[in-house]
Amino acid sequence: MTSDPDVVVDVRDVCKDFPVGMGFRKKRVLDGISFQVRKGEIFGFVGPNGAGKTTTLKILMGLIRPTEGGAQILGHDVSETGFREHIGFLPENPYFYDYLTGREFLRFYAELCGVPRGERRGRIATLLEWVGLENAGDARLRTYSKGMLQRIGLAQALVHDPEVVFLDEPMSGLDPMGRVEIRDLILRLRADGKTVFMNTHILPDVEMVCDRVAIIVKGKIRYEGQIETFLKSGEERPTQVVLARVPVELAPKIEEDFESEVRGFQDRIEVRVAEKDVGALLWLALGAGADVISVTPQRASLESIFLNAVEEVGQ
Amino acid sequence: MNSFRRIRAIAVNTVLEAIRHRVLYALLFFALILIGGGMLLATLSYVERERILQDLGLASIRLFGVAIALFVGVGLIHKEVDRRTIYTILSKPVSRTHFLIGKYLGLVATLWLQVVIMAAAFVGVSLLAGAPLDSGHAAAIGLIAVELALVVSVAVLFSSFTTPMLASLFTVGIYIVGHLSRDLRELGRQSDADSVRYVTEFLYRVFPDLESFNLSIQAVHGLTITSREVGFPVAYAACYAALLLLVASWVFSRRDFR
Repeated sequence: MTSDPDVVVDVRDVCKDFPVGMGFRKKRVLDGISFQVRKGEIFGFVGPNGAGKTTTLKILMGLIRPTEGGAQILGHDVSETGFREHIGFLPENPYFYDYLTGREFLRFYAELCGVPRGERRGRIATLLEWVGLENAGDARLRTYSKGMLQRIGLAQALVHDPEVVFLDEPMSGLDPMGRVEIRDLILRLRADGKTVFMNTHILPDVEMVCDRVAIIVKGKIRYEGQIETFLKSGEERPTQVVLARVPVELAPKIEEDFESEVRGFQDRIEVRVAEKDVGALLWLALGAGADVISVTPQRASLESIFLNAVEEVGQ
Repeated sequence: MNSFRRIRAIAVNTVLEAIRHRVLYALLFFALILIGGGMLLATLSYVERERILQDLGLASIRLFGVAIALFVGVGLIHKEVDRRTIYTILSKPVSRTHFLIGKYLGLVATLWLQVVIMAAAFVGVSLLAGAPLDSGHAAAIGLIAVELALVVSVAVLFSSFTTPMLASLFTVGIYIVGHLSRDLRELGRQSDADSVRYVTEFLYRVFPDLESFNLSIQAVHGLTITSREVGFPVAYAACYAALLLLVASWVFSRRDFR
């Protein structure tokens, strides 16, 4: 293991087997993964569903033990409990004690983390305000919306002012407003000097917030580095454009100019073009008097994007 | 000191969870009805009215005590795992042993609170019916409370590794065997076959001897209760529960939370 003080999370050659069925057979869920998270960065642990992201995070949280290999956080082996005063954790789709009020909930976690009694009240008030729940602190958690639960969950992870925060799919299942709120909170964490480790399968979130990523597919790390480098090297994204009130002569011209198939019904057509051609297509269509109904980037499944990109990266 | 504070926080949260649960009130409601119903039943009899009343009262406290012990003991630990609230707790500086001890102490506190409420109803009904009350009744109810603490440790042990359904079944099984083991041993001693004697003796040694917590007959009939009859079961329960918690914590610490 490294002694570099800048390395906050150090995962080395971790394998994990889970028993299948009656437990006679084993399935390898993690296959020798290694990566490092550095101080002060937002690190995205990215991959399609079922790739082993949550299993990795559970190993880091000491909830399951690795079959082989080991992991350290802040220089401590993850099987220890003492150092957990310095880390915070928000699980995926958290279900919290719904019989507690927001304030009681945070007080419970503050006690568990050993926050001194005198500081608790102030700390909890600051956190409630920070996540925008200052008016909901005395309501029971069962009355909270999904976005509010995610935010109180984030507050719970931060109640003891940890150095490193681990988030499992922090933005999944939220509406667009909720996602923006959580994203802004994560960016504020970095501004406060925290290190953030987040699991996600949502690419736009990664592109928005992460400084560095590790990409895991089928239990193996396929890439570690900047997300931009990874995506540029990878996929050419097709875009679907739907146009209405299209003059009769326009459709053949589009087919010819953009070498793409045009499907249509009466004066409404659907065209698939490369991302770089979208501007030119819209210019042409608007110039001919057509209406633009929608422009939708088409994405293949994450797994195929990752796999294709990985192949092109040449690993 | 910090460990103590963490265990206390988990225990307090467990009590809060239990007393904010509706099912608990339903059970308590029926217990109180049954204890009160003793008044009605006693009026049907011409003889030993007070004894029938108090017999039924103590039996209700025991029966509903065990029902509540099963419900909270098995349910609340499984819920933490099932709803993944345990993930956030164990990601804090809390060991699995701390978690289990805190949970156990919270469950015992909840049960004892229920026993106090049922005991108050018992005292009320006895006073209304003019039945005698003395230290024997206090000892009988006290030992029911101690027995429940032991039953919860059995429930905690099983729910540390199996499903709530199985954990409930095992706990009920042990409860029944625990109450029969004394009689079984007596039966076995009268048997000619050595093997039967060994098996019944073994059952008696391994399973908790729950009949030793039953002072209802002495209490209701106003017989003298020695300090040994109270002291021995208390010490026995403390050792037995501590041993079960030790095993539970060992099992729980090795578990993967998938």
